[in-house]
Amino acid sequence: MKESIQREIFNHLVKKGIENFIGVPDSTMKYFIDQGLKKKRVIIATREEEAIGIATGMVLSKSPSLVFMQNAGFANSLSTVTSLVQLYQIPLIFLIGWRGYLKNDAIEHIKIGKLQPKLLKLLNLKSKILTEKGWMKECSWAINKFRNNKCCVLIIKRDFLD
Amino acid sequence: MIRKEAIKMVSKILENDLAVAANGYISRDLFEICDKPSNFYMIGSMGLASSIGLGLALKNPKKRIYVFDGDGNILMNLGSLTTIGNLKPKNLIHIVFDNSSHESTGGQPTNTTCIQIDKIAKACNYNKTYSIKTESDILTIFKKTKKINGPIMILIKIHIGGNIGKRISILPIEIKQRFMNFIN
Repeated sequence: MKESIQREIFNHLVKKGIENFIGVPDSTMKYFIDQGLKKKRVIIATREEEAIGIATGMVLSKSPSLVFMQNAGFANSLSTVTSLVQLYQIPLIFLIGWRGYLKNDAIEHIKIGKLQPKLLKLLNLKSKILTEKGWMKECSWAINKFRNNKCCVLIIKRDFLD
Repeated sequence: MIRKEAIKMVSKILENDLAVAANGYISRDLFEICDKPSNFYMIGSMGLASSIGLGLALKNPKKRIYVFDGDGNILMNLGSLTTIGNLKPKNLIHIVFDNSSHESTGGQPTNTTCIQIDKIAKACNYNKTYSIKTESDILTIFKKTKKINGPIMILIKIHIGGNIGKRISILPIEIKQRFMNFIN
């Protein structure tokens, strides 16, 4: 996704009331994270579960939060998703970078990348893929979910190789 | 001192400060000894008590946040010490009840039989760290730390044993709701 759009998405989410962005970096969304670092609203965690824990503490304090991570890191945090986020019904927006979306991505991403949509389905987590044309609509969908105390997932596809 | 005795003493000192209790016997003991809305009991997601505590501390700078952690628990999320040490919340007090064992799963040993977590916390930029083991230590250190800025780690060396605390009978969503109502 283009640099300018990633930065716009960050600014838009802040404008809509998301106060905290906690996660583990992913090159798929590096401009989004960079924008957040510039605005001093990002906390870089050491693992994805930790990011979810910090965000939970903030949501309990009524401070709207988003967690960001790569899909491999999302897989790390499955137990936290089921036994914290879903068990306690903690409203959070997940932003997940989808490696392995391209079939010729680096080999370590292929298998888990293929499983990613199925994982979300199995967990019954609603998701939308952010697009360069429709991102504002997709963000509104996520904000609405959050405002209704629901958890949801926005996805950024890794559509380039390096 | 066993865990239940240590938790009893600490919970008396805390009054209405916010507490996040790690999953397993720690949450169960705290629930049995002194259930109140300012306690957030973790049921699952082992290792994350300190992270939830960090999020709470950053958003509630005027309140003191006490994390009731275990040695097995924090060993699963040691990275958390570095994030806490980096962000340095002044109002976070990280208590570790250290019995060098995974007591709730059958007493298997943890690495704290020869590793000192308080030293790791010190190296991670915690403002103060203490390692204590008696009831009078608890009284002295908790009184002292009321006037000291965090992050602080108080590691309490305890023995295994005692009755198992009763299971938490409140639903997770209710634990959350009453905790949120208490804070806000």
